[in-house]
Amino acid sequence: MSALWQSVLGEIEVSVSHATFTTWYKNTELVSQTDEEVVISVPNIFAQKQFEVKFNEQIRQVLANNGVSPSKITYTVLTQGKRTRVNRETTLQAAPTSSSIPLSMPTSSPLASRGNLNPRYTFDNFIVGSSNDLAYTASQAVAANPGVKYNPLYLYGGVGLGKTHLMQAVGNEILKTNPDAKVLYVSSETFVNEFLEHIRFKKKGFSDKYRNIDVLIVDDMQFIANKEKTQEEFFHTFNFLHQNNKQIIMSSDKPPRSIPTLTERLRSRFEMGMTIDVQMPDFETRCAILEAKAELSGVTLNSETVEYLATNIKTNIRELEGALNQLLAYAELHGTEPDITTAEGLLGNVRHSRPQHLTPKQIIDKTARHFQMPIEDICGAKRDKHIVVPRQIAMYLLRSELHMSFPKIAGELGRKDHTTAIHSVEKIEKAIKLDFVIREQVTTIREKLYA
Amino acid sequence: MELTVTQENFSRALSAVGRVATNKAGLPILNNILLRTDGKRLLVAATNLEIATTQYIGAKIAKPGAITIPARLITEFVGSLPKGSIDLKVTNDNLHISSGHFNSIINGVIADDFPELPTINEESSISYSIGIEDFKQAVSQTIITASNDSTRPVLTGVYWHSHEGNLFLAATDGYRLSERRLVETKSDVSAIIPVQTLQEVLRNINETAEEVDILFDETQVRFRINEAEIISRLVDGNFPDYRQLIPAKSDTKATVDKQEFVRVTKIAGLFARESGGSVVVTVDPDKNTVSLHSVASELGENTSELEAKITGDGSITLNSRYLSEALSVLDTDTLEFSFSGKLSPCILKSTKKDTNYYHVIMPLKS
Repeated sequence: MSALWQSVLGEIEVSVSHATFTTWYKNTELVSQTDEEVVISVPNIFAQKQFEVKFNEQIRQVLANNGVSPSKITYTVLTQGKRTRVNRETTLQAAPTSSSIPLSMPTSSPLASRGNLNPRYTFDNFIVGSSNDLAYTASQAVAANPGVKYNPLYLYGGVGLGKTHLMQAVGNEILKTNPDAKVLYVSSETFVNEFLEHIRFKKKGFSDKYRNIDVLIVDDMQFIANKEKTQEEFFHTFNFLHQNNKQIIMSSDKPPRSIPTLTERLRSRFEMGMTIDVQMPDFETRCAILEAKAELSGVTLNSETVEYLATNIKTNIRELEGALNQLLAYAELHGTEPDITTAEGLLGNVRHSRPQHLTPKQIIDKTARHFQMPIEDICGAKRDKHIVVPRQIAMYLLRSELHMSFPKIAGELGRKDHTTAIHSVEKIEKAIKLDFVIREQVTTIREKLYA
Repeated sequence: MELTVTQENFSRALSAVGRVATNKAGLPILNNILLRTDGKRLLVAATNLEIATTQYIGAKIAKPGAITIPARLITEFVGSLPKGSIDLKVTNDNLHISSGHFNSIINGVIADDFPELPTINEESSISYSIGIEDFKQAVSQTIITASNDSTRPVLTGVYWHSHEGNLFLAATDGYRLSERRLVETKSDVSAIIPVQTLQEVLRNINETAEEVDILFDETQVRFRINEAEIISRLVDGNFPDYRQLIPAKSDTKATVDKQEFVRVTKIAGLFARESGGSVVVTVDPDKNTVSLHSVASELGENTSELEAKITGDGSITLNSRYLSEALSVLDTDTLEFSFSGKLSPCILKSTKKDTNYYHVIMPLKS
């Protein structure tokens, strides 16, 4: 954008309402500027008329403030046609052949032509934070060299944390670099259903469909777990693809070894590539996500509002987006600003569905229930290992979720000495980094706390 | 502003423009309807910044002026008033409406804040007058094959263009395509009109309408039907060169009765719901029949036949929904159904000489 137009817009932006500015002045540009005439491009006929009749004086004024006083200001709608015509005149080339969209062969679902991938999921719009950067990096590596590094790639984590987004982004990226690559995205349910049809109706083409591809992406692997025959078929498909250096990407809510009914031979295969967990996003990532999503909708939220939303919605990104959309829709509908007051009024709905305040008792209770032991044991004096670890986890959660002081934590769990609490919290903090079993237990309990 | 209108006219105008009064663009005033005196008439208008629709109604004007009023409220209020005359009067930002025993005051917004309605230069534009029946038919025959995928905007409209001396309408969603020849033309036209605009125009056609006047310029189009006017932006972009997609000749042809074909397609469709609408159409030259076969794995299966005049043989798998939609807009008693093998497109057209409509459907992978 030219510096002149930028400063014109800057001056106008502060003098008109936000809605007016985004509706009319966005997507305008300075096309040409001489002493006699200034030409400004506007996005459509409505803007053209509006500028000609209503805004002309203001534009003239502001241009004059910037030292430009043309005798005439013209507003024009810039179309692709005009743009190409300009090219033709200047270069005298043959008319550009219009992009031909061949009628593609639809299969039952119109998405199938692109391997069921949703083009909206790309790496560009995935927001990376410390909770998911490993998964992101690994996915990018896979997209750059499918079938070579990290095969299979196995992503796991709770709902709404971006597993599907990442997997589809890999598929889309591969298709972008190599449009001929055969990428197939299926949910494990589809796989099971098609397999059942294959058996029951002797439908042909099942093996062809799954073996004649370059990249197989299977979502929600856990649903395959208690279906033995399907597991066996998947095992063969897996082996076939893997031996031919085809990329396999899977996701699930648990790591392979925590899916109880998964057969040993599949489990070991799932684990032979790369197994990464996608964690809950931290506060900063949640803020970044909100800002990016708001920007996509053409709205800028102030930091106060972003922080408010990010603080109050911790569990998953889908919910976060939901709250944001609700806020924007509400603000638009009522013609108000999507600020913290509106958010507070609205989030009542989101927050009332869950306990308003987490109490220490709830944390201890949920932890005990997770480990299926009586509360008395956790708060009691016994020091058996199967009791000590849950007790330490409870202390850790009291610290991390409620920011309680160590003496209080000790008190809640019937300890006299606060150093016990310090030790426990430190121990779990360390363990979370090293021991994935503990990490998962903590994550699960945390999810339950906010569920 | 002070004036008198009849309830019938005012209510009709309000409900015709009210549908457009939605605030998609983020300006609250777009939820309002503009009322403005225009000579001896009252202009009633609304816009969503993609379409602007205007109705002119006769009025007895005592004092000229203008105001904007929330669309929902005034449309519903005037709609529930008894027939007869209504007095409108604006004081400050309020509209006083009185009719018989009903008096109300609606808070409005001054008309200066309302977006300027686009105008089109009649001299420099290309114009057509098209008979209402032709227009209705051509538009409904093509909009069904337009796409609603906003990631490919050029396919979300109907492509009006001149080709070899005729004005054509064409639309495709990538899986099917339709082309309709409308009138002869000497001008050079190329415009993609959004489907929503055309639907809005269709809704504005009432029994008294005889003709639609259409005016194209480079970036906009205007439709005029009696006292109604709709101005819309055009979709920016180049429509794909679709003519190369229509096969010049086909190996297999079947001439069938349309009503019969509609019936068997509907029946076959019942059994095709599970398989995503997939129906296998087989042309049998020995029996002189076309048969449609569909399987619902859980429920059962169906084969229906109909008599046909046939050249060639073969079969093709089609989506039954696409097939029935195509049949529903083909204006003919007998039609020709043709294709070449399982992978190339299938064409449906009337057997009438010099037919003006082609409907092309891509097969499903079977």
